[in-house]
Formats: sequence, C-alpha cells, structure tokens
Amino acid sequence: MTQEMSLDSYLAQGGVLTNPMNVPPRYRAELMKLMTTFVDSELAGAAGFADVINAGPGIKERIAAAKIVLEKTDNANRVLKIMAEFGVDSDRYANHHPWTARLERNADIGASRGDHDMRLAVFNYPLEGWTDAVVMNLLMGRAVTVQLAEFAMVSYQPLAEAFRAIAPIEARHSELAEEGLVKLAEAGTTGAQASINYWWPRVAASFGSAESARFDSLKKMGLRRTPNMDLKSRWAAETGAVLENMGLKAG
Amino acid sequence: MARFHDLEVTDIRKTIRDAVVVTLKPANGSAAAFDFTQGQYLTFRREFDGEELRRSYSICAGRDDGILQVGIKRVDGGAFSTWANEQLNVGDTVQAMPPMGSFFADLDPANEKQYLGFAGGSGITPVLSILKTTLAREPNSTFTLVYANKGVNTIMFREELEDLKNIYMGRFNVIHVLETDAQEIDLFTGLVTEDKCGQLFRTGWIDIDTVDTAFICGPEPMMLGIAAALRAHGLTDAQIKFELFASSQPGRARKKAISKDAASGANQATAAITLDGATQTIRMPKDESLLDAALSNNMDAPYACKAGVCSTCRCRVLEGEVDMVANHALEDYEVEKGYVLSCQSYPVTDNVVVDYDQ
Repeated sequence: MTQEMSLDSYLAQGGVLTNPMNVPPRYRAELMKLMTTFVDSELAGAAGFADVINAGPGIKERIAAAKIVLEKTDNANRVLKIMAEFGVDSDRYANHHPWTARLERNADIGASRGDHDMRLAVFNYPLEGWTDAVVMNLLMGRAVTVQLAEFAMVSYQPLAEAFRAIAPIEARHSELAEEGLVKLAEAGTTGAQASINYWWPRVAASFGSAESARFDSLKKMGLRRTPNMDLKSRWAAETGAVLENMGLKAG
Repeated sequence: MARFHDLEVTDIRKTIRDAVVVTLKPANGSAAAFDFTQGQYLTFRREFDGEELRRSYSICAGRDDGILQVGIKRVDGGAFSTWANEQLNVGDTVQAMPPMGSFFADLDPANEKQYLGFAGGSGITPVLSILKTTLAREPNSTFTLVYANKGVNTIMFREELEDLKNIYMGRFNVIHVLETDAQEIDLFTGLVTEDKCGQLFRTGWIDIDTVDTAFICGPEPMMLGIAAALRAHGLTDAQIKFELFASSQPGRARKKAISKDAASGANQATAAITLDGATQTIRMPKDESLLDAALSNNMDAPYACKAGVCSTCRCRVLEGEVDMVANHALEDYEVEKGYVLSCQSYPVTDNVVVDYDQ
C-alpha cells in the first residue's frame, strides 16, 4: 500500500488509466487527439456515405448502406461520450463541423488534415457513385479493422472498452462491402479496379508515416504498440488477398 | 455536456479515523441526473485560495440503497479531502458533475457468475458499490473480495462488510490482507502482489478457474501485480476491470498570475470574437486570456481543461497577434495556420480578431 510509483513507469509497465482525473496533461492531449480523430473520421465517413444510400442498385444494398451510416454515427457517439467526460461539449462538437464537406476528387493532400477537423485525410475525398463507395468502404473498412485491433489495447480503459465493442461492428461493414463488391462483379459492373487504384494509396496513407520519436512516446504512454508500417503491411496483405479472390488487384 | 449541480450534504460520518462517508441529496430537481451505475464516481469542484480544484470520489452506495453516498479518505496535503474530512457539515452545499465512469459489468438477474474484487485502502468505495448491487440484483452470483489495508484500524466499511457477509451467506466472502498486522494465516499478511495472488489462487482460497469478471481498484503497483497474476491464470483484458484510485490525481496547472491593478489601466485590447456565427467586439485587459474574456462577456465559448491540453478551446487568430503561453495540444502545422488555444492566449496587439468557428 505504501509503495510509490510514478505514473510514467506505471504506464510503461502496462498499467491503465480509468478516468479523466488521473490522466496527466500530455497523455490527455494525445488521448483527445486519438478520440477526435476517430469521432471526426466516423462522422465524416457516415455523412459521406449517407449521400450514397440512394445510389444502391437494390433495396438490400440501400438497407446495408443505411445500416452502415447509422452504426458509424453510433460508434462516433460512443467515443464522443468519453470525450464529454473530459469536458467536451458533445452536442456542439457533433454539429459545429461540416461533416459532408469534401475536397476535389483530384486534390492531393497526402496524410495532412483539413482546417476544420481531425478526420483522417482519406475522408476528405468525395465518393463517386455506388461502385466507388463500395470499394472505398471495403478498403477503409479493412484498415479500420486493423487499426481498431491496435487501439482496442490503449491504456485508457473506457476507450479500450468502447473500441472493443466497436471493432466487430466495423468489421461487419467491410464484410458488407465485400459482399457488395462480389454482387457487382456478378452483375458484370466495371469500374471497380479504377476505384481500387484511386482509393488504395489514400487508404494506405491513413496509417501515417514511419515517424519513430512520436511513436515511442505514444508507446510509453500505452497508447500504441505496433508501428504504423507493420499495421499498413498487415492491411495490405489481408486486403490484397481479398481482392485477388475476386479477380482484382491491389492498387 | 456534463455540468455541475448543487448537492446538499444530508449526512456525514467517520468510517475510520481519517475517512468520511458523505451522503448527498441533489438539489434543484436534478435527482435524475444523479441516477448512477454501481462503480461510478462523482467529480467535485471547489475553490481553494481562488483556485478551482476538481476531485473525483467513487460512489460507495449500491444502486438499491436509495441514497447517493461517496467515501472520502484524507490524503496528506490534499486540500479537498482534508476540507471534506475536517470542515464539511450536514446542510452544506457542494457541487458535482453527474456520475461518470465505466468501472462496472452489466447485470442480469439470470446470471450465475463468480465475481472477484480487489480493493486497496480507499479503493474499496467503488468495489463496495459494485458488490452490494451485484449481490442484490443477481441472486445466483457470488462475489469474493480481497481487501488490502495497512492494519485493522484502517479498514474502511469493516462492519458494513461483515453485515453483508451475514445477509448474503455463502455468496459473499471477504479476505482481508493486512500489511502490518499479523493474522492467523500467514498468507493474509503483507502486500497484495502478483506473488500473493498466485498463492491465493494455488492454495484454493480463490477458485480462479471459475472467475468470470475481476474488479481491481487500488494504487498503481497493486493493480499491475494483480492484473499480471490474473492474466497468467487465463483471464483476458476484457474480463479485468480497473479503477485507478485518486492518489495519483495530478495537480492542476497554475493560472497565469493576474494583477488586478494592471487590468484597469491603459493595458487594454479590443477583441472581435466570432462564435456560432455571431461576432462580438469587446474591450479586454491584455493579461486576461481570450477564453476568459469571451466567457466573462457571456459568450458560450467552448473549453474543457483551461490548461492548454485538450484543444477544445481552439480558435483561429485572423488579425493581430496573441501570446500563447502554453500549448500541449496543437501541432506545429495548426499553429502555423493561426490556431491558438484560447485559454492560454493573451492579446499582444491593441486589436485582435479571433474565430471559434473555423
């Protein structure tokens, strides 16, 4: 009971933090950034996908698209609730960004974020029709699955629990996209490969760069475990195999 | 957004020499906001010497007790806990945010689960709430509590736990582990470490193979040791619930010293502040932060920590120059674009134009 231990060494040994009051400033900043990135990406992703619902070729597809929009919004809400415990005004937060705003299709922003929010760069590009939306959802859905497996182990317990609950839901979204892409192929629809070529490098960029100093400090805080490049390789291998099964190629 | 509510102190009693149990009644019709889940905590605020302190304390009441109660152990040098233990009286009003926290497992009357709880010292408060609620709401579940304390006279809620053992005979068991007081069984003396847990599991005091969920609340080394032992015996991270107790609550950043005299002199700036599409132009002292100036002019500016760490109060400087004294949140590229943390930013030029909407 009387042993003393610094918070840094506790975290470095795999300890977890459990509420806003025992979170130190630097950790808090990184945690807020992680949460806003997730929330903004989900809200922007859902808002962009909402426009595509009506482009679904059949009622099943439209139901699947609507379900994805609903669940991504709900997943954003789960994390926003945790941010609210840090004092964030969640109502204002959910409404004061233009989530549907997109750049030009040929804008080239690399991995940089926009001026208004923390969404991953990939969510700044517009979807072009149903096939394009299905492809984007498949590639990004698989990326999110890989990223959530990493973030479900973050040292902030309430967030780790939220991500553990969210992970199977997001995984299902990429399965729906996979089913949708198979259907499109059966119907003889073309254009999937062009969309893959467009989205592949943009989704790949969402894994971030191989910056080591920052990764090390996040690792010490228990907010990261696996380097960006390892996660990206895993995604590329898994997703490449899925595409190959459908007679398509990685971008 | 979570905000503070008034609560009236309806009862206050000592549970041990330096810990009080405070019963609270939400005032002004805010009772619904304080409908808690077992294991949650309340965040209080109070000003000490002009500086606001926020402290979290776990609820120790069960959901079926019909009252809202927190346990507050006095920490050496702790302003809030000392005040609560020495000066707080029945009839006083305190301020707290609605219950928060996810230190609980969902309950179902049909469950037949084996729960295991570990508490160190005042870490008992949320665990007590959990075990009382669980035993009442899941008639076929059992709960074993390993409770670590320095000695017999520092055991919070000792009698209450004995009563619970009698009420829930055969379903609730407590193992007291005391650091300094010798007990009949050697295993129950010392610290609750990874080793000690391993021995408790191996000698059959705890049937670890049947445990569905474990709760741990205590100081850092104890939590690490217990978690390591639980993982070594097959529990997954999803089965282990943690609550790090209040000992390590960091102090809050000091406010920039503000001289009241300087504020009234020529040291003034004009600030045009845009928020939610509306722009208000105000006169403000240069030693007041942009955020505080906006707030004191009844603008509902967003903020959270006021310590430069959460980036909730971010705004963009469109004209003029400000001095951001601390920045733990914004990236270099954001700063280059003119973003500042308004809680940390003070006007340098006589005119500044800032926008919270960008």
